[in-house]
Amino acid sequence: MKKILMLFKHTEVNQMSKTFRIVFIGLLVSQALALYTIESMIPVPFIAPGAKLGLANLITVIALYTLNNKKDVFLIIILRLLLSTMFGGNLSTFMYGAAGAILSYLVMTCAKALGKDKLSIIGVSAAGALFHNVGQLIVASAIVQNIAIMLYLPILSIAGVGTGIFIGITANFIVEHMSKLPYFRDLNISG
Amino acid sequence: MFKKWDIILIVLLICLSFIPELVFGVMMGKNYNGTYAEVTLDGKFYKKILLSEHRGEDKIDVKTEYGYNIIEIKDASIGIIDADCRDRICIKSGFISKPGQLSVCLPHKLMVEIKSNDNEKNIDVIQAH
Repeated sequence: MKKILMLFKHTEVNQMSKTFRIVFIGLLVSQALALYTIESMIPVPFIAPGAKLGLANLITVIALYTLNNKKDVFLIIILRLLLSTMFGGNLSTFMYGAAGAILSYLVMTCAKALGKDKLSIIGVSAAGALFHNVGQLIVASAIVQNIAIMLYLPILSIAGVGTGIFIGITANFIVEHMSKLPYFRDLNISG
Repeated sequence: MFKKWDIILIVLLICLSFIPELVFGVMMGKNYNGTYAEVTLDGKFYKKILLSEHRGEDKIDVKTEYGYNIIEIKDASIGIIDADCRDRICIKSGFISKPGQLSVCLPHKLMVEIKSNDNEKNIDVIQAH
């Protein structure tokens, strides 16, 4: 009886997962775009130009912790990048965004895989935010053909880690609440 | 929420972000591209003064058989502020700081010239990338 129930549950999950996956990816991408649009309305209040809140990173972090397939997270990032470029951007914002987002994605997946129980969502998010800045600075120094732009890294990284921690705390709350939903019950979320 | 390793990772990453600063600091120390002033008396080399690193005020008295000149170094600029020559043109040229600029006292055969270690970058060329 138990076996049958498990089998039933399994098939149900499998059947649902395909539609669910598409809908969920769509939701996350649209949320990321909304956050990106809101963020672009906020003027840069910092002393450091280029420092942003990185609200779109919130969605990446949430996706990383709720989706089992790493390819789906990457898909969300790419879709978000392409659509945000079409909505309000140009080639240079795309280049900066792509380099930052892909590098931060790689670092966050590594950080999450390496520090499974040791690292919480905050640490992963802060590392991602910092490497987002690193990626952007690499592109900037490639465009200007001057590696001296890297000297700007400490200022940006301190700002990035600060916002990354807050994004991590926010993502922590969201993921904690999402884990109460039936679909995400079997997630191994380390709060 | 926060775990011990989170804080360790964050501190480590911030420390890592200062690596470019250190690397550039070492490289800058090796081949320093700065300006310096060369003081020549009667065509002969007299003194070399590093300018781009200079902060504060310094005075140099130059006494020769022709008379005296007082050279003042104010931050990154240099100038002759007093002399006992007739025309006092050297004082009128004021403080100079850019490579290629000159301050000359002809009666005393004293010349202050600004030079740069950076030979590759010509100051008149604007590179457009």
